[in-house]
Amino acid sequence: MLHAILHELQTASGPMTLRQLSRRLGVQESALEGMIQFWVRKGRLAVDEGAGGVTEMRVCSGIVCGLRSCPGPGACPLTLKTPARFRLSVPGRH
Amino acid sequence: MKTKRCAYCEEHPAADLAPPSRVREDERTFIVALAGNPNTGKTTIFNSLTGSRQHTGNWPGKTVEKKEGVWKQGDDRFRIIDLPGAYSLSAFSAEEVIARDFIIEARPDVVIVVADATNLERNLYLVLQILEMTPSVVVALNMMDAARAQGLHIDIDRLSQRLGAPVVPLTARTGEGIGRLTETLVRAAHESRGRDPFRFTPPNRYSPPIEQAIARLEEAIGDHSALAQRYPPRWLALQLLQDADFCAEIASLPGDEELCRRAERERSRLQALYQTDIDALIAEDRYAWIHDVVGEVIRGQPQGPTLSDRVDAVAMHPISGLIIFFGLMWVVFKLSTDVAAPFVAWISLFINDYLAHWVLELLALAHLESTWFASLLTDGILAGVGGVLVFVPVLMFLYMGMAIMEDSGYMARAAFVMDRYMRYLGLEGKSFVPLVLGFGCNVPAIYATRTLENRTDRILTGLLVPFMSCSARLPVYVLIAGIFFPQFRTPAVLTMYILGIVVALTVGLLLRKTLFKRSETSALLIEVPAYRLPTVKNVWMEMTLRTRAFLESATTIIMTVSIVIWLFMAIPVSGEGAFADTPVDDSAFAHLAGAISPAFEPLGFGNWQNASALMSGFIAKEVVVSTLAQVYHAPLEQPSHEEDLGFWAEARLAVASFFQAALDTLKAIPGIIGIDLFDGEEAGAPPGLGAAIRQGFESASGGYGALAAFAFMVFVLLYTPCMATVAAMRHELGGKWTMLSVITQLTIAWIAAFIVFQGGRILFS
Ligand SMILES: Nc1nc2c(ncn2[C@@H]2O[C@H](COP(=O)(O)OP(=O)(O)OP(=O)(O)O)[C@@H](O)[C@H]2O)c(=O)[nH]1
Ligand SMILES: [Mg+2]
Repeated sequence: MLHAILHELQTASGPMTLRQLSRRLGVQESALEGMIQFWVRKGRLAVDEGAGGVTEMRVCSGIVCGLRSCPGPGACPLTLKTPARFRLSVPGRH
Repeated sequence: MKTKRCAYCEEHPAADLAPPSRVREDERTFIVALAGNPNTGKTTIFNSLTGSRQHTGNWPGKTVEKKEGVWKQGDDRFRIIDLPGAYSLSAFSAEEVIARDFIIEARPDVVIVVADATNLERNLYLVLQILEMTPSVVVALNMMDAARAQGLHIDIDRLSQRLGAPVVPLTARTGEGIGRLTETLVRAAHESRGRDPFRFTPPNRYSPPIEQAIARLEEAIGDHSALAQRYPPRWLALQLLQDADFCAEIASLPGDEELCRRAERERSRLQALYQTDIDALIAEDRYAWIHDVVGEVIRGQPQGPTLSDRVDAVAMHPISGLIIFFGLMWVVFKLSTDVAAPFVAWISLFINDYLAHWVLELLALAHLESTWFASLLTDGILAGVGGVLVFVPVLMFLYMGMAIMEDSGYMARAAFVMDRYMRYLGLEGKSFVPLVLGFGCNVPAIYATRTLENRTDRILTGLLVPFMSCSARLPVYVLIAGIFFPQFRTPAVLTMYILGIVVALTVGLLLRKTLFKRSETSALLIEVPAYRLPTVKNVWMEMTLRTRAFLESATTIIMTVSIVIWLFMAIPVSGEGAFADTPVDDSAFAHLAGAISPAFEPLGFGNWQNASALMSGFIAKEVVVSTLAQVYHAPLEQPSHEEDLGFWAEARLAVASFFQAALDTLKAIPGIIGIDLFDGEEAGAPPGLGAAIRQGFESASGGYGALAAFAFMVFVLLYTPCMATVAAMRHELGGKWTMLSVITQLTIAWIAAFIVFQGGRILFS
């Protein structure tokens, strides 16, 4: 099962959700998360950090104050929180 | 030779060197550890057992909180320790190290492992690891209420048999089952006293080659009495096999080195056999065993697709998902054009009729009505800032639509759908995030490219972001489309967004084929959040936060630019006029903008008014609207109503018309699906301004006003982004790429507008 995750990712033709993969492998979704965590620790899967940090981005009066340090009350229109994403690590990059 | 640190010596002076028969301060005191995955209810159980007899501190050398309490039953005292939550005991995080060391070094009499019944497969991993460490385990199967609600049936007896440990079903929150847990705990505690804690058989077996290696190592460990007295031999053998560093960590006696070499040999043997890491093999076998157990004990797990699965099948499908995405975008733009229109009309009426009237009257009271100050207030600030404020409802509806899409969990799915298309273009799927952000505001979108690992991806995405039509450009489209294509506002606006995307994709593809060649990346696994009903609170918060940011820019940047433009418009450079009393055509501003306007002649909008709006639009795109409002501004006439009603009557009228606008908005909502309750009435710009702008475009284009207006919209979409975006690009991509981007965009915008205008002219003549 653990190795099947890597295999599925190697042979997949497009993106997959955790739920789809858990269905395919017949594993509970939360258990799949645990397995993915295992590979992340081993460096075989890489986590893409989402744009989470950017949600804190402030733009005051059109002037960018950088991350998390804007004194003004305004925030730039539309920020986006993205879910966690995993992909196979490029060999030798971890 | 280093000595083994003893994390729990303080706790149990004997623990470090204790032989298997533990030394306890008193025969009737038992140590009980509460272990489990995070959020499974350990602390809830801990609290219901210990009540107020507890104290908190920190684990030695760690900032992780430690909770300890006492539970008494007859003469027995139970010291209960609430271990930090961990998913496994692989010594990866501080929590895992604490939990592992406590169980292995402090040797509690009983370990209660709390497992979440609704996530049994995941929770059993830790249960199994603990069953490999100690024979006195009680499994508290918590969250039974939630499991029942999900229709899960768990065969408790069978589970207990397979685990070789008592399993107590529990709903800690209500206290249901706590009585049985304590009974089981007392029994397990007393049983543990007569037992050798190191001689037990865990419930699972590994693949034969691993089992053989374990057996050989166990034998070798038996020869080392020191180690054999400190750790359960099978657990130690397993640990030595899967963790190359563990041996050095525990080795302290001369004979230990031989053991470490032994472990190393076993490891390389297995590695050669399986061609993969031993810890992955061991974990694989554990998961397989767990999967088998779960398959046997769980019944009634919802197998068929849920409603959310069925929705996803459509919403995340490569084709229908794309259609749904653009369909929803359509709804959002419908909301921000047609549905917002009554409010736009109301604000326009309020500013241009009532507010302007009141300002004029106040000025008259102060005898300032025909001074430069009056001109600054009315032709400068009121016309400029007011011209933009009119569009606040448009933006509020846009922000509302975006917030609903995000809060409902849809946006993550849109990202999923887009991932595939991004990939076709050789872009990383994640590039979609900055690009969608760009619809709100290009500035954070540029910064969001930081989350892309690859530098070429970062640059490429950063170059494409400005083609995403930011919300500041929306008022321009709404204003122009409202004047020239009142019946087709939504399609016109949506066309702009799609055109932006198409241009971005084309440019992206071209750059990918030329400057940024790249290799493949692997498929993605995406965690998609559950659908949920967006809360009014969240949506309202997002909406107001973003609107406030816009208002803030209206009162600072737009105000400043309006004043500067008024100033240039007030200075006469030709003709007979005096300061603040000159025909605009003779003003410094007209001459300045007139110098660049020939560049726009082939595009159909080559007069100084349009040129000036585009020029000031470089500062911020909202300013395009305020400048248009100023330069096309007809001097304020007397208010349109016949007799002067007085302030209060007018204020009452203003409020009444607001409610009428709200009503009209409700009536406009069915229009989203094509039901029109209006007879195509026009809204947006005040009639005088609309007529002036129409007139301006008609004469600049030689009678092709609508075509020129469309070309103008295309130009605004594509040309150089605002100053803040350029600054962000310089920061993120460097000066060279920023220069290239600015020049390319100007060129693309000019060519696109040229094609629209000249092509259209050939088509329509
Ligand atoms: N539905 C349900 N919820 C429960 C039950 N027991 C606990 N909870 C809830 O689960 C959440 C986590 O409970 P905690 O006791 O803090 O869990 P914990 O294991 O101590 O969590 P960590 O210390 O973070 O690892 C709380 O919101 C509890 O109210 C239960 O039997 N049923
Ligand atoms: Mg807790």
